[in-house]
Amino acid sequence: MRIEWWIILFVYVAATGVLLFIPKNRIHLAIFALLCKQLFTFFIGLVVVELGLIEYPIRCFPSVNRTSFVYEYYAYPVVCAAFNVWYPNDSSPLYRFGYYVGFSSVLTLGEVIIEKYTLLLNYIHWEWYITWVSLFITFYIVRLLCVWFFKKGKVSYM
Amino acid sequence: MLAMWLFGTAGFILFIPRKDWRMGFFSFLLFQAIIWLVDMITFALDWQHAPVREFPKATHMPLTLDYFFYPVSFAIYYVNKKSKDGLWSRFIYFFVWISVITLFDNVLERYTDLIAYDKMTWYTIWLDFGFLYSVSQVCCNWYFKDRDSFQTEQRWETHEN
Repeated sequence: MRIEWWIILFVYVAATGVLLFIPKNRIHLAIFALLCKQLFTFFIGLVVVELGLIEYPIRCFPSVNRTSFVYEYYAYPVVCAAFNVWYPNDSSPLYRFGYYVGFSSVLTLGEVIIEKYTLLLNYIHWEWYITWVSLFITFYIVRLLCVWFFKKGKVSYM
Repeated sequence: MLAMWLFGTAGFILFIPRKDWRMGFFSFLLFQAIIWLVDMITFALDWQHAPVREFPKATHMPLTLDYFFYPVSFAIYYVNKKSKDGLWSRFIYFFVWISVITLFDNVLERYTDLIAYDKMTWYTIWLDFGFLYSVSQVCCNWYFKDRDSFQTEQRWETHEN
């Protein structure tokens, strides 16, 4: 098996592991964050590939989709779920800003390494900082949606 | 295609009361995730294909239908479902709704190029939608079942960013 397929397998296993570590009483938040993130990653992923900015030479469901299924459908949403579950609500604004920066930077770093050394991902007209900014913005939007969704209020959920 | 975006948005606003928007939004997201996965498989197996589509290069799947229109239809279905009614009326509601969606899909197949069946027939589409709807419904019911734990989690989220 090629190294790329090992990485995909590893990403599946790692993401599932992260999911299992999410505390049971926070599972609703995790699911909501995950689904929200999918909404954005699907769409942005498709647009980016359609415009020929990035390509994914090795991918799941190659005959149907030219985007990265494992990353956009599973891994990144799971990371976002973890992001929201352990979000430091009570910390200072600076710390929370650092939390965003930290998540975005680690993911960007991983992506750059994968881009450089494997065939999973190829930048065509793309730079690492676009990845970083888009990660930051989508984290922020999903965070806003989560706050809205779980806002205490007069609304009934049943 | 454009009409579906318009009618879908209008339908979401008109048929889902404002107080149920969260529930509608969640069921929309959930159904989207499930239909995307299931259709990915049926498309990969060449059971159906979409000749005219939004991102012809990036994906072979119909974005408007799978990403927006059917999820909205499920959200409207789920929010307006009356859980207190008897088993029989719930079944009829489900049955009629699935049949209408199937009919809609069949009409699209026959008169437009938005979707084309290869191995699919009208009854496998019916089963497909029946499966998608029931799985999503079970998941949504589970999600909204435990109000207590839902509110515990709310307490965590009271702070702004």
